[in-house]
Amino acid sequence: MLTIIVRSILIYLIVLFVFRLMGKRQLGQMQPFELVLTLIIADLATIPMAEVSVPVLHGIAPLLTLVLLHFILTLISRNSQKFSKIISGKPVIIINPKGIDYTAMKKLNLSTDDLFAALRECGYFNIFEIQYAIMETNGKVSVMPKTQFAPVTNGDLKKKIENNYIPIILVSEGKIIKENAELAGLSNNEILQIIQKNSTKKTTKLKDVLLFTIDQVGKAFLQLKYQEGKSFQTKRLVKQ
Amino acid sequence: MKIFHYINFLIMFLLLIGICVLEDFLVSKSLSDIQNRCYKIEKVLERKENLKNMEIILTIDNLEYTWLNYESEMCYMVNHKSIQEIGEEIARLKLYIPSNDINSFKVSLQVIKSYCHSYLHFMGANFHNIL
Repeated sequence: MLTIIVRSILIYLIVLFVFRLMGKRQLGQMQPFELVLTLIIADLATIPMAEVSVPVLHGIAPLLTLVLLHFILTLISRNSQKFSKIISGKPVIIINPKGIDYTAMKKLNLSTDDLFAALRECGYFNIFEIQYAIMETNGKVSVMPKTQFAPVTNGDLKKKIENNYIPIILVSEGKIIKENAELAGLSNNEILQIIQKNSTKKTTKLKDVLLFTIDQVGKAFLQLKYQEGKSFQTKRLVKQ
Repeated sequence: MKIFHYINFLIMFLLLIGICVLEDFLVSKSLSDIQNRCYKIEKVLERKENLKNMEIILTIDNLEYTWLNYESEMCYMVNHKSIQEIGEEIARLKLYIPSNDINSFKVSLQVIKSYCHSYLHFMGANFHNIL
């Protein structure tokens, strides 16, 4: 049993390493060849895990081979559009201003139910709201709505709105995140002072803080554990 | 970061080649040695018609010891179940000595040689195995 446990840990770590090497895209938007790879890896990993007579190398060697193959395929497809089209396909327009392109749908083996499900996922329930719908190579549908149904943006309203800044997390579950504190140009004492100044109790300690974020213009959010969160304005950050 | 990525893949590539070479070397060395030892035992048998003699006993002990060493090395590379028959046949060889069962002893030796021969083919890198 110990053998199986140790093997499982070892293979888990290797598969984790393999997926990290393949990059983040692997986890979200998978191309056909990446999907195939993921399926094979899942199957390969379980064989040496469950079968003690099979050496762990029998699992590792094919895994490494597949990662290498993936690396080579990615490298070639990045440099060659033709090759990329062969292994990943190309985006297909399934809805155009004239309506649904039935020929394209047949080629993609897509039913109208599938199409409507994908459109609903994009937030469009009526086909007449859509100017173009494109089936991407990763199987997702991108929609471009007709102008009259496109969501209104601040630009359309010609409103002058201050830019948004990404808030950085300074304290999370009682711990100061050092890199973020350095990025904000705040010392631990300064962070604690801001927290104490803006919390209900002046004796608030770091361990009582659930979340404390701040953005470049000094908009901050503080929530203590088991309490409601509150937003407030503090000094503008020097660095970010 | 990109260089680190390339180095990673280079290491993996070299590792795979290393594993393949090592496996091929280990399998061919072990199985050929066991096969040769079986031929030697057959020659000893031609000279001495009795199994109950020190030379045979020592040679078989030696064969068993060598095989156990090879087996433990090969277990890193080869499915253990695929090679266990050789160990079983060697254990049988030892059983035939007290009863002086020469015929069964010879059959077991043949079986070991045959296993070694077929495993050499089955585990080696060749076109048949790839397909």
